[in-house]
Amino acid sequence: MTPSPASRRAFLQRAAAFATLGAGGPLAFNLAALSSASAQSAAGYRALVCIFLNGGNDGYNTVLATDDASWSAYTATRNQAPSSIALLRDVAPNPAAAASAPERLGGVLPISPVHNQGRGFALHPALAGVKALFDARRMAVVANVGPLVAPTTKADYANAGFAKPPKLFSHNDQTSTWQSFRPEGASQGWGGMIGDLLAASNGSGATFTAISASGNAVWLTGRSVLPYQVSTTGPIAIGWVDPTSGVRSLHGSTLGYQALRRVMTAQPAGGAAARPLQADVAGVYARSLDAEGRLSSVMPPAATAPYGTPPTGGAAYDQGKDPMLQFIHPGTGAATGSSLARQLQGVARMMVAGQSLGVRRQVFYASLGGFDTHDNQIAQQAMLMAQLDHALVYFDTLLGQLGLRDNVVTFTASEFGRTFTSNGDGSDHGWGSHHLVMGGAGLVGGDLYGRFPTYGRVGDTGGAFASSPDQLGNGVMLPGVSVDQYAYTLGRWLGVSDGDALSILPNLSRFDADKRNLGFLA
Amino acid sequence: MRDGENPGRATQPGWTPRGHRSRTWALALATALLLAACGGGSGSDSASRASAQAVAIKPADDSDARRFLTQATFGPDDASLAEVNARGFNGWIDWQWTLPYTPVLTHWDAENARIQAADASNRARAGELLQAFYQRALFGQDQLRVRVAYALSQIFVVSTTDSLLADQTRLVASYFDMLQTTGLTTYRQLLEGVAKHPAMGVYLSHLRNQAEDPATGRVPDENFAREVMQLFSIGLVQLNPDGTPVMQNGRPVETYTADDVKGLAKVFTGWSWAGPDKTRGRFFGWDGFQDPNRLILPMQAYPDYHSRSEKRFLGVTVPAGTSPEAAMAMALDRLASHPNTAPFISRQLIQRLVTSNPSPAYVRDVARTFTDTGGDMKAVVRAILLHDEARNRSRMDDPGFGKLREPVLRLTALLRAYGVRSNNGKADLRGTDNPGTDLAQTPMNAPSVFNFYRPGYVPAGTTAGARGMVVPEMQIANETSMAGYVNFMTSGIVYGFGQWGVIANTNGQQGRDLRLAFNRSSPAADFNASPLRTLARNDVPGLVEHINQRLFYGALSDALRAEIVDAVRGVPANSTNASTLEDQLRQRIWMALTLAVASPEYIVQR
Repeated sequence: MTPSPASRRAFLQRAAAFATLGAGGPLAFNLAALSSASAQSAAGYRALVCIFLNGGNDGYNTVLATDDASWSAYTATRNQAPSSIALLRDVAPNPAAAASAPERLGGVLPISPVHNQGRGFALHPALAGVKALFDARRMAVVANVGPLVAPTTKADYANAGFAKPPKLFSHNDQTSTWQSFRPEGASQGWGGMIGDLLAASNGSGATFTAISASGNAVWLTGRSVLPYQVSTTGPIAIGWVDPTSGVRSLHGSTLGYQALRRVMTAQPAGGAAARPLQADVAGVYARSLDAEGRLSSVMPPAATAPYGTPPTGGAAYDQGKDPMLQFIHPGTGAATGSSLARQLQGVARMMVAGQSLGVRRQVFYASLGGFDTHDNQIAQQAMLMAQLDHALVYFDTLLGQLGLRDNVVTFTASEFGRTFTSNGDGSDHGWGSHHLVMGGAGLVGGDLYGRFPTYGRVGDTGGAFASSPDQLGNGVMLPGVSVDQYAYTLGRWLGVSDGDALSILPNLSRFDADKRNLGFLA
Repeated sequence: MRDGENPGRATQPGWTPRGHRSRTWALALATALLLAACGGGSGSDSASRASAQAVAIKPADDSDARRFLTQATFGPDDASLAEVNARGFNGWIDWQWTLPYTPVLTHWDAENARIQAADASNRARAGELLQAFYQRALFGQDQLRVRVAYALSQIFVVSTTDSLLADQTRLVASYFDMLQTTGLTTYRQLLEGVAKHPAMGVYLSHLRNQAEDPATGRVPDENFAREVMQLFSIGLVQLNPDGTPVMQNGRPVETYTADDVKGLAKVFTGWSWAGPDKTRGRFFGWDGFQDPNRLILPMQAYPDYHSRSEKRFLGVTVPAGTSPEAAMAMALDRLASHPNTAPFISRQLIQRLVTSNPSPAYVRDVARTFTDTGGDMKAVVRAILLHDEARNRSRMDDPGFGKLREPVLRLTALLRAYGVRSNNGKADLRGTDNPGTDLAQTPMNAPSVFNFYRPGYVPAGTTAGARGMVVPEMQIANETSMAGYVNFMTSGIVYGFGQWGVIANTNGQQGRDLRLAFNRSSPAADFNASPLRTLARNDVPGLVEHINQRLFYGALSDALRAEIVDAVRGVPANSTNASTLEDQLRQRIWMALTLAVASPEYIVQR
């Protein structure tokens, strides 16, 4: 099966129409000239927010199977000297225990999915806020997601001729594969390509279709849509802006300021083809200046409710010290600045700014790093889970206050899960992993989607983990849900048509039509 | 002026063929000869030799020398220009290798001692590490050594984003010194230096890595085993000698499997902190078992924690019971001699120094030097810098040639070009990570082992990307970071860079530590001595030409030149009040330099 040729052709034509506008060209693309089945249905405001967990989050310790059979296999595999990475059940936190000891965190937090697959489940002890959201049905769990070329069994995996994603287990390549279905070097990702399809509904605000709060990520790059990088402090003005008059200058000269803008954005004399690098730098500058000019008057300030806490006593606003943007570090007990909450603050401000510019569809990218827990896993992942938990609750609360809870779906992604086995104080690179989806009315929350993997054991008859259809060597999860299906379910909610989805999700056609939609979004 | 010199009659006072050094040079020269013979069509080997020597050995003029120094150093200054002009390219490289090496650890240890004398519970941290780095980068005479070490620090990455390395920056200082020294021996020795350094052991977690335990199912940590293959030696896909991927059925061929990672992971078990014994406490680094120099000594093997089983990887079988030292040697030998390693490492070093998209011939020639010299890193660096593709100025007009200067190098080039001084002598510039206000980059603080940017990064929606070019440094260039860069440089051109402190020879005046003569806070005596001051007053085109020579190695475009001249002329310099006039002159220089360093022409190195 292949994507419908007609839809693919139409998509490529739209993309080509975009491409002729050029990288360094004006930002106010004439998007109205483009039409798309996807965009035509766009009404109201909707946004997707991707939170990428850099380093490969250990799904085994994020969402846990707690029925006795699963728990026994889990503990036997993960409780290894010198530092167990097996979380505990039914115990209270012990603040006197070492930061590296599971005892310090207390027991995992039970959840009751609507469909429990005949097993018991729980969340990492630091995910109390996520549990509350799950209980309130504003959070769902999607089990064992990962890149797949086609539905894959263990027998398929063992077959060298069976198509698998290239460069499995490699950080950069699987990050790229999750985001773009290709290893490192890919130039377009599915978030940006969804943006391509929907940018037409954003009118002159199309510049703000795809927005990163966390650096350059291929996920947000489409054929025509380019990600706009928002600083956690908002758009950056160059030169000096007079606080009273708003007049801009450079070293006291307004003409100098104008010269600076021209110097930054000047295309090379021989054209972009003669000096591509220079032209591309000028292109980034041009986007920066354009976006700053349009955002500066409409982006709400960070230091105001509901986004942040206004400073008192004339102090300058410091996001790192804003209590709303701090999480409690489980290792130190101290309120600690959250990079992720700062990013999500910027995301929410961009949503409000975007809407005032007429934007109706947006995709956002935020990230949190440090998940490559080869060692010191218990303490490190707990710190990260606490930060993620706080940031999700902060964002959900903020969206509620902005009246946007039903308009936004937030989901996690990560380049891979980790091994079930322990290396003594950590885990190694894996493949499939569990993910969280947060949303409002559109989300069918409080439930678990995708078949939760069966746990085998190292000592299984027939070889390590032979008893599990879902676990490979070292207990790595063989994904049961593909990134294509995950993306399809998310994109469909945003307004991507089935035909367009097949054109941007290269493996989707190999999954049965009735299984493409995972069902977590109504 | 050297403009009038005839490069054809250059003889080489600094070059006498003798010993190993001359052999490596001969190889680089042979490379240049091959190219000259192919492209020059002279038909005579001796004529080609003379022509190649002329291209490769002697700068044609100051611009040519500064262009070379832009590739080989942290930026040309007047002293390095004179050195290259006097010695020629090759002689300068020879001379650079003879310069004494200054450990960054010396400064770190001295600062640490001073800090601990005041507060025994405190210690030197990332700031002192960066001071030591910037002292070498900005003021060191041994620029080539430090520049190459900095390039290596972006291939063999450890980072102070790791919490333990951030807490114990002595590890990282020592690691940088290993790159400055072992990094310029052979690749095989470098790889061993990397594999055994405790900073890498901490960063990629093979320090304290234990043998597998079949009874419980515990497995060795695979982190270092995977990354040493993927990033530090052979890469993910099989390469031709020119660095292009080997294709089978239209697809690249992967170099290793999950089983190779598992086998190699067992090799890197049983290594931990150095010390006088091999006890359990020493292995785990318990209190009472911490050698005072364990942070700077290579890790030692602990046979009790090393996998005793057979280890298979990349076609090598390490027999069961092999000692940890012998097993590691077998593994590193295999990686160092793998046919991928020469092109994989050569291409990345070319990208760090010269151009993001080297031609396959360039990679092939440098990789051949790598192979023929047994991985002599000095020979590799020389081959990179003296290759026709690096030296031939006609390449400047090749759309595919060149690279973005990374933010740290944009800063150091400005500072060195204009005679930066450190008020307190420490070069006190701290972290510059914040993309909105600083540089989006701090040395030795990459976000992960994948560095600040990837060698294969293709920027979205760009002309370069559409042409199939990679632009690694573009990975940290975005709407926020580029605006932040302009503001950071604008501020520094006015106020200087780094920490605030007292300026020498003033009445306790405060200013930023890294100070240029025309900064607002620089004393009048300094400003008066600056050649820029006179030019700003009397000769605006001359001022811009001065900048053209120092920051653009003479390649400033007419359009940008006119734009800067007009903007500078727009700043009045006519006050009859002497003090106001001095301010105006400084302002003219600020205007000119801000426009210069903000320009895409400056950001792209050709």
